[in-house]
Amino acid sequence: MTVETPDQALVRAAMEQVWESMLYAVAEPWAPGDHPDFRNGLQAQIALTGEWNGELRLTLDGTVAAEIAGAMLGADEDEELPELDVHDAVGEVLNVVGGSVKGALGGATALGLPGVTPVTVAPDHDDCVVVAWRGSPVYVQVVPAAG
Amino acid sequence: MKILIADDSRVMRQIVLRTMRQAGFGHHDFVEATDGADALDKVAAESPDLVLSDWNMPNKTGIELLRALRGSGSTVPFGFVTSEGSDEMRQTAQAAGAMFLIAKPFTPESFSDALSGVL
Repeated sequence: MTVETPDQALVRAAMEQVWESMLYAVAEPWAPGDHPDFRNGLQAQIALTGEWNGELRLTLDGTVAAEIAGAMLGADEDEELPELDVHDAVGEVLNVVGGSVKGALGGATALGLPGVTPVTVAPDHDDCVVVAWRGSPVYVQVVPAAG
Repeated sequence: MKILIADDSRVMRQIVLRTMRQAGFGHHDFVEATDGADALDKVAAESPDLVLSDWNMPNKTGIELLRALRGSGSTVPFGFVTSEGSDEMRQTAQAAGAMFLIAKPFTPESFSDALSGVL
């Protein structure tokens, strides 16, 4: 069985589901504007291995990550969440997106555990599905394994 | 009744808990486990009436947890709450003794439907 690289429509559909069910928001496409400041950005990564090998990467500004974590936890607007919870929330968003993508891929594919690292540069908009969170971009890239 | 929620994500455990409350199950007692191995210990220590477990966890995955429980003779009702809901995984879960599989992202209705015959 040949498993194709997940396409952007599949990723976007998964993100729309997550936005609706976990964040109680509508996943509007992000309109490219000024290049966002990513000095305090975060990136979650999750590996898919098996008949298709690669990873999904979700990149967003740190403030956006904290707002999303707050929405997931039902926290008050002014509540400052621990960094651990913010990383956990961002990883879990990607985990759910990854689960949907894996299910749609079919074949014998395994989903890894999400990891989260700081980033300072936003990915290239053209390589990503970009969804807006309160007007700010959340990028998801599909990155096939080298070779 | 006592319900054990096993997930390595604290955020997801909180979301499961909130969704259970929204689905009308908030009057039950809840215990949390941070991975499959912790869940195995907590089943022994806390004797829950239901286990809601993630699939993909460090130390011991959800399916390894379920097989360990059934291998030790435990018949505790067990359901998965996981980001992966393929037919193959549902069949694997059922064959191992799970009562249901709720796929993330979920709604309160997902829990109502799955748990209506259990709680």
